[in-house]
Amino acid sequence: MNQNLEAIKNQYIDKIAALKTDKELESLRIELFGRNGLINNLFSKIKDIAPQEKKQYGADLNQLKTKLETSLLSKNVQKSEKLTSEKLTSTIFGLPKIGHLHPITQTERQLNEVFRKLGFSVYNSPEIVADEFNFTRLNVPKDHPARDMQDSIYIKEPDYLLRTQTSAIESYLLFQKNKDLPLRAAFPGSVFRNEKVNRSNHFVFHQYQAVVVDKNVTIKDLIGTMDLMFKTLYGQEVVVRYRSKYYPEVAPGVGPDMQCFNCHGVGCPLCKYAGWIEMGGSGMIHPKVLEMASIDPNIWSGFAFGMGLDRWTMAQKNIKDIRTLMGGNLAYRPNEL
Amino acid sequence: MKIILSELKKFLPELKVESTKLRDDLTMIGHFTNFFEEIENETVFDLDIKVNRGDCLGYYGLARDLSVFYNIDLKLPFSREVRPQDGVGFLPIEIKTDKVTRVMAIKLSGLKNSKSPKWLQDFLKYHGSKSINTIVDLTNYIMFLYGIPNHAFDTAKSTDNLIWEINSKFKEFTSLDGSKLTLNNEILMINNPNKALSLSFWGGESCSIDLTTTETIIELAIYDRTTVRQNSRQLKSVTEASVRLEKDLDPELIPQAFNHLINLILENCDGQITSQLFDHYPNKITPPQIEFDPQKPSLVSGIEIPVNFSIDCLTRLGCQSDIQHLTSDILITPPSIRKDISIEADLIEEVIRFWGYYKIPTNEPLDFKNLPDITPPEIYLIESLKDQLIDLGYDEILSWPLVTTPTNQKTVITTENSINSEAIYLRQSLIPSLTQQLDQYTRFKLPEPQFFEIGKVFSKEGNKYIEKNSLALYNVDQNKLISDLQQLKLEGKIINDNFFEIIIDNLPKPKKYIPQLIKNNAVELNSQIITLDANLTLDTKEDSIKLIEKYSKIIGSEFLWKLIITDIYQDSKNSQYKYTFQASYFNLDDKKAKNLHLKSFNLL
Repeated sequence: MNQNLEAIKNQYIDKIAALKTDKELESLRIELFGRNGLINNLFSKIKDIAPQEKKQYGADLNQLKTKLETSLLSKNVQKSEKLTSEKLTSTIFGLPKIGHLHPITQTERQLNEVFRKLGFSVYNSPEIVADEFNFTRLNVPKDHPARDMQDSIYIKEPDYLLRTQTSAIESYLLFQKNKDLPLRAAFPGSVFRNEKVNRSNHFVFHQYQAVVVDKNVTIKDLIGTMDLMFKTLYGQEVVVRYRSKYYPEVAPGVGPDMQCFNCHGVGCPLCKYAGWIEMGGSGMIHPKVLEMASIDPNIWSGFAFGMGLDRWTMAQKNIKDIRTLMGGNLAYRPNEL
Repeated sequence: MKIILSELKKFLPELKVESTKLRDDLTMIGHFTNFFEEIENETVFDLDIKVNRGDCLGYYGLARDLSVFYNIDLKLPFSREVRPQDGVGFLPIEIKTDKVTRVMAIKLSGLKNSKSPKWLQDFLKYHGSKSINTIVDLTNYIMFLYGIPNHAFDTAKSTDNLIWEINSKFKEFTSLDGSKLTLNNEILMINNPNKALSLSFWGGESCSIDLTTTETIIELAIYDRTTVRQNSRQLKSVTEASVRLEKDLDPELIPQAFNHLINLILENCDGQITSQLFDHYPNKITPPQIEFDPQKPSLVSGIEIPVNFSIDCLTRLGCQSDIQHLTSDILITPPSIRKDISIEADLIEEVIRFWGYYKIPTNEPLDFKNLPDITPPEIYLIESLKDQLIDLGYDEILSWPLVTTPTNQKTVITTENSINSEAIYLRQSLIPSLTQQLDQYTRFKLPEPQFFEIGKVFSKEGNKYIEKNSLALYNVDQNKLISDLQQLKLEGKIINDNFFEIIIDNLPKPKKYIPQLIKNNAVELNSQIITLDANLTLDTKEDSIKLIEKYSKIIGSEFLWKLIITDIYQDSKNSQYKYTFQASYFNLDDKKAKNLHLKSFNLL
């Protein structure tokens, strides 16, 4: 931090520590944050700072402002009203502050628990991936139209990108564990797409995927296991239909749709009047995907399914703006009153 | 894609299902149908066609699927084969590139072009296309019916000397809608020796058909789809034609669509054929032969699907087979229109989707299987740390991995196409994100913030991309932060008084850890938290926590952030007890918070 600002910070931290009454606190607050207060004065001087130092100075000033604001906010001082009675205790009574898990973590743990009970491990892989693992090994060669389904954020086009789907973790899993068959693994993960960020879209999504490779795996196993997952998340009454759907990494592909929880299948703006909401994708792992991982599709088969967690989590917590999930307005009441 | 029911019924005269059922059936067999709507006595369906089903970007392909599903006949529209009269000349067309899979072309003369008939105008309107004139509209009509784009050139402007080539001489192209595009040397085009006439997927203004057109060359073509896709992306232009030509289309369908189009133009605009038929199809595509085990649909689905159904289904789809015994493998040749069928798994998928996924039970999940645990130890470490932190009262946040300012310019990873021009760097530390979060909490006047994030931080060493797991903490109370770090056995430097960050990859990891299952609140704040005091006088001394619980219940959890008792006094005169409550409210404006406060503490 800029030396002058550092000195100001230290000076006022000491002043805040020495405050005794709410009147003193209010007076200092005005001195710092009033219209003609110190902080506004410092901001007004930014124009006089050399251009190359402006950015750093602004950041330091913001940091100073935040520090002093939070210190003032958290300062407990004596009320200045005249007391005609005897104070019984100086303790502040309240329920203890508890910590909170992010709603996405809560959902991920709930699902991990379902799959642990079926013998699944939890897995992960890097977020920067080679094109090979995000696309090619998932049966999406270069210039395949399926690549248009996902706008990528490239680190080095066309070789390295931020993973666009948790299927990239599946590629790593099959590649790394192709000698450890059979296997069962589930993987929550962040994925990234080149999307404009607004109230309903984000460039970071959270997906959950599960993969099984074994002998004689069937679509019945896939649908039964997916249904168990949906019932765990949405309750026993949830109505899910399973239909034909295309994903290059699976064949046959299966698409689960949940009956719209808003209109119960009648049709409404939320479900675009279809009565159903698409819940993700799944299917039997494509023989080419197994082959590319050096797994013999004549001996081994498997299924994979994935779904997004953000929309569900938002509905659960009554969050209207997807940006809330990634910082900003998300907060937790300090205790469950 | 839009589909009009009456037009679909021309291919499927026996189709007699309710629109709602047709919508659901289309979806179940893989053509997700968003909705249907009644417009001027027509029923129009809105479908999402799968990227591997280029054949279904036309009525014909979709009708083929439905004829199998409903087991009804598929009727092809009657079209006389195009037969030029003897003595007409050959078109001087040149194909100078191998990117043309097949092109059929012919010249028509003596045409009387006009405004389109109403049925054609309506058809295009329901498909979201503008009516231009009869000849142009019929070319679009055929594209929508068969999914194969085509084009009409006004020979008075284009001449007969059409050349299919990769562009090497033209710098600019003006499309039919007047858009000016800058060309490079990789664009597949139709030119004449002097003029750029058309892109593979978009006609040009320089040879457009208008009401004065009397002579035209009509062409239907399929190209190397990768080239079309690349051209479309390079020129940032997507058209109905480019969407189709990027898919694997069937060159064997061209004659059917071509004959239909030529017949329609001659019927509606008079005229006659004045050239020989041009048909360039140098490498006839041979459909694959696939070994198919008729037992496999049952084995893969997990339910019994009769072998006879499988064979019947594939036959109705147009597959050729050499059935000897139903118990042994059969050699299947899929129809050329089904480019998505290339291996046995694709045939199995066809059988299962027509048998119906809804027949597969949903209540038989996998049984437990005892397999070696392959969970990476760092996942156990992360889960364990999260549980320890929330036990200490910290809240978890997640933040953007893209940041505007690098922490270390030398090792920062820069994205090539970020979501905006500012947040282009991958974060190297979680502290900036936590600082931003703190700013936001301060704006909301959130009392006593203490929170953490565990996430990836990124850096570059030479050409190597490095990802590490980092933990960062903030606590408004520095003393508590220090004691919490001691309890967590985390060593490091406190940053800016109240922050701490550590790379956790090298910390000791638990061999196994089963995390707590927690369902806690989370709130989307949309205004400042408002804190108000309330003084209550009670005759007897009460348990403070019970009082807090009592008034929390009265206020209700919808808007109450926090309730504490800050002071308790005993009045020396009358022995009454005075309690000072401090209640914080969220997502309420000042007035509403005050009303709720006064009402709850009976202070009105």
